[in-house]
Amino acid sequence: MTAIERYAAPNSLDEALGILQQGEVTILAGGTDLMPQTKAGRIAFKATLMNIRNVAGLSGVAFDGDWLSIGATTTITAILNDPLVKKNAPVLAEACDHFASDQIRNAGTIGGNISNASPAGDTLVPLIVLDAEVELASKPNGAVTTRRMPLAEYFTGPGRTKRAANELLTAVRIPLPKPGHVARFYKFGARPALDIATISIGIAGVKKDGALTDIRVAFGAVAPTPVRAKRTEAALEGRRLDDATIETAANAARDEVNPIDDVRATAWYRKELIHNMTKRMLDHVAQA
Amino acid sequence: MNVAEKPVIAPESLIGQRIQKKDAPEKAAGKTRYIQDMVVPGMLHAKILRSSRVHAKIKSIDTSAAKALPGVHVVLTAADVPNQQPIGVARDHLPLKGERVRSLRDEIAAVAADSDEIAEAALKLIRVEYEDLPIIAGPEDAIKPGAPLIHPAPLDADGQPKSLPPKTPVAFAGKADNIAMRFDYTHGDIAQAEAESDVVVEDTFQLHYVTHCCMGVSGVIAEFDASGNLLMYSNTQVPFLHKREFAEYLNIDPSRVRIIQPPIGGGFGSKLDIYPFEVICIFLARAAKRPVKMVFTREEEFLASPTRQPVLLTLRSGCRKDGTLTFRQVHTLHDNGAYTSWGATTPFVMMQTFSSLYRVPACDYHTTVVYTNNPYAGSFRGYGNLQATFAIEQHMDMLAERIGMDPLDFRMKNAQDAGEVTGQGMTFKSCGFKECLTTAAERSDYRRKHADNIANRNARGPVKRGIGIASMLHVGGGAKIYPSDGCGTILKLDDFANVTLITGASEIGQGSETVLSQLVCEELGLPISAVTVVNNDTAITPWDVGVHASRTTFIAGNSAIGAARKAKAKILAAAARKHGCDEAELDLRGGFVVVAETGEPLVELARLMRNLHFSDKAELVMTTFYYEPPSVHQDKAFKGDVSAAYAWAAQVVEVEVDTDTGIVKMTKVTGTHDVGRVLNRLGLEGQIEGGVVMGQGYALTENLIVDNGVTRNPNFRDYKLVTAPEIPEMDITFVESMDGEGPQGAKGVGEAPSICIAAAAANAIYNATGVRIFGLPFTPEAVYRALRGATPKPHWQAWKPA
Repeated sequence: MTAIERYAAPNSLDEALGILQQGEVTILAGGTDLMPQTKAGRIAFKATLMNIRNVAGLSGVAFDGDWLSIGATTTITAILNDPLVKKNAPVLAEACDHFASDQIRNAGTIGGNISNASPAGDTLVPLIVLDAEVELASKPNGAVTTRRMPLAEYFTGPGRTKRAANELLTAVRIPLPKPGHVARFYKFGARPALDIATISIGIAGVKKDGALTDIRVAFGAVAPTPVRAKRTEAALEGRRLDDATIETAANAARDEVNPIDDVRATAWYRKELIHNMTKRMLDHVAQA
Repeated sequence: MNVAEKPVIAPESLIGQRIQKKDAPEKAAGKTRYIQDMVVPGMLHAKILRSSRVHAKIKSIDTSAAKALPGVHVVLTAADVPNQQPIGVARDHLPLKGERVRSLRDEIAAVAADSDEIAEAALKLIRVEYEDLPIIAGPEDAIKPGAPLIHPAPLDADGQPKSLPPKTPVAFAGKADNIAMRFDYTHGDIAQAEAESDVVVEDTFQLHYVTHCCMGVSGVIAEFDASGNLLMYSNTQVPFLHKREFAEYLNIDPSRVRIIQPPIGGGFGSKLDIYPFEVICIFLARAAKRPVKMVFTREEEFLASPTRQPVLLTLRSGCRKDGTLTFRQVHTLHDNGAYTSWGATTPFVMMQTFSSLYRVPACDYHTTVVYTNNPYAGSFRGYGNLQATFAIEQHMDMLAERIGMDPLDFRMKNAQDAGEVTGQGMTFKSCGFKECLTTAAERSDYRRKHADNIANRNARGPVKRGIGIASMLHVGGGAKIYPSDGCGTILKLDDFANVTLITGASEIGQGSETVLSQLVCEELGLPISAVTVVNNDTAITPWDVGVHASRTTFIAGNSAIGAARKAKAKILAAAARKHGCDEAELDLRGGFVVVAETGEPLVELARLMRNLHFSDKAELVMTTFYYEPPSVHQDKAFKGDVSAAYAWAAQVVEVEVDTDTGIVKMTKVTGTHDVGRVLNRLGLEGQIEGGVVMGQGYALTENLIVDNGVTRNPNFRDYKLVTAPEIPEMDITFVESMDGEGPQGAKGVGEAPSICIAAAAANAIYNATGVRIFGLPFTPEAVYRALRGATPKPHWQAWKPA
């Protein structure tokens, strides 16, 4: 009944990239998105199913110079409990705390959450406001090559990214925070966890003298991909975080998103949430 | 000297103790074998092909490719089963639909194959050609003049309505309109009562679709033996009614149908009717000459099991300035869906709440149940009472506010007392209603919080606090909706004084095995561990009407006590004979026959049992008892004391409303229930807590979205059950009104705890925000819209057919 002809579980990156180079490969990590989507007929298995959970060096959190590098097969639970993440990217840990359920966090990986490229993916918005970049490896001519790209530019549509078919997402890297760096994440779901985001909001910047600079604002579930909110950022960049600035920014946020109606919420309600919760988050940042 | 102290066995009552459910260890250890786990040698696996159109004529069905698939044993369509009998409460559909589909759940074909996967693959090979018909998406459309008919009368070759004998079922004869059922009840003079009212309020309330979400999805295994006897493994809540009905559909003697119930993974009313899948599974087993198992997928459970009855309800209520209720006038429009199941009959219960929860001199109640192309509604814990209570308890607060009276005082002024006989003829023999109200209000500090919250409505900050109260009346001593509401018990003691309790009452997770064992042990002076309960095989157990109407503890309990008392009398008589004393002086305690006054043990019960058995006048202790409650079948005007006892409760709900998002957080529920008497305190608390959470889901999160006949969220991702962190703090207390007819004074409580929550939540949201919301559920977006004034108030003009 299934189209899978071959199952591979390579132990090394080199081997995995070699299999990928041959083409027609479905990549399996935690399976928490892949399995339900293939079962529902939204994704078809390719001839080779490659499990990358055994690939050495793809899992774990470590410093890499001025960056924090998180391996693609690191589980959401591992990130949630990782002391380096807690210290250097607490907003990512917070997002992991709102991520699905314990069972799904134990199996699901950060690489999978990125590769699934859902506009509502829980880790994507915080990663984007942290200026994260993805690392992609391939072996086009018998030798392993890698390239990096800002996560904010990686997504091209629901379920679609700039990853080439012969590439494997190996890690996501986050620059270590500058002094005064603040970051906030908010996910609206109808319940505390085990829910797909109706909207999500990430805000980050460097707070100095009551103003934010290097501001990053991103929204989830309001467009075909998670999006940076450039006009909202512009309304905040370098300005004193007073009531007027916050209201202007919240209005800009509502005006620049273009969500849809679906079974979870109407577009109107999503825009209202974006406005109200952007405002609430900025109030909290101002008061902190 | 070496003198042992004379043993004395003191009476130790099991009543009111916290007793672990008998099935808990197996369930907690994952060892319970549900129907999903069952394998019958040689069995096939079955799947149903459902309609892909909401309303259409079937032009053709081609099953040839499915039949040709290796591993497929049987493919059936209506054409293969020429003598199908209509099923359902109104006999308005055939299990397999041949000419027309009226909803997306409609069954067109069925496959039995070597595996679920093959059966699934075979379904995909079946080709159905349809001709679409106009869709009736809501009940208001169904009653518009000239609305398309869901069940048109069949035409003969000349295009004239076929002439059919009278009483031909709807499935064959059709209906001249879309009205499935009507209910009309009146007491008192409405016009006069309205003229005497100082205040009258009128509002329309809109109740939505939810479904049971039993952890154990629907399933059945059917097999015929070589003599043509049918054995079914079924999750049904009503095995004896089903035995008779299946026999009718198969045109065989009911004695040839045997139903065994494996442990049931939740019922809540969903397993109270016969559904097409069960009959279809029997057809497949008959055709395959093999056992056939059919178990729903979760998605199928959402799409093709019944819903709670959605209702559009317009209520007029009046009172005088002094707080005396004057009248209620109720018109409801019930969306039946395409076929009639028990949902259509929820007015039986709804009208009780309108006519009898409070003293009301005049009540005028009308329901019209109409066919649409939606999923069809069944019975669901509360049986219409959540819907009725949602309306009536909001109106209680609204009337109180209009006359400037405290909502609690207003309720107390109109609340029923013991001894009252209502317009419907319900007689309240025990009634702890007022004590429920005052207890719940005091324990939650209702009056102070209610006033404080109003004062704080305009305080800074997005989160507003609210508190709301609601009350309920429900049958607590069975409900005589059939000519009999009885239950039989067979009880035997073995040579070791272990008891086998054979009862007609089914265990569906509600704890009946435990509470029945407890009642028996209380009579026989034995520990709970001495009892084995047999309750799941129609070939063994005596008759029972089924698990519904919160009746099991009351009816089966009285039946078990009756059998135990007969056994006790037999035992004491034997002991008295043997030991030459008066049986009136003896009692059973701690596994011994004792002298009642002193507790001095006379003989170990097990020893006495062996003596009886192996004596020259060999005798076993085996008794039977049949209990029929002293209630009456209501007459055509819906009058009559339908239950042997009535249960009462008041629940106070506290909420926090985030006005930036519309999220309503239920922070606390304070509930006081008149349960007659606490039997198993642990079981009772569990049932109340579970019921509160079910009520919370109905109020806040659960919403089966049916859009133009299409269910849009048939999964747990988008149909939101309450999860653990959302469950509020609970303060549950009991009023023991000691019902004179109840087993040890107890009354039924199964449905009660879900009933008030949505109504109390509505009142709490109003208390927090000053905004009254007339439709459920209170999901964040719905509440947010209402807070912004963006929700049009539901309106439905009171209407009844000419």
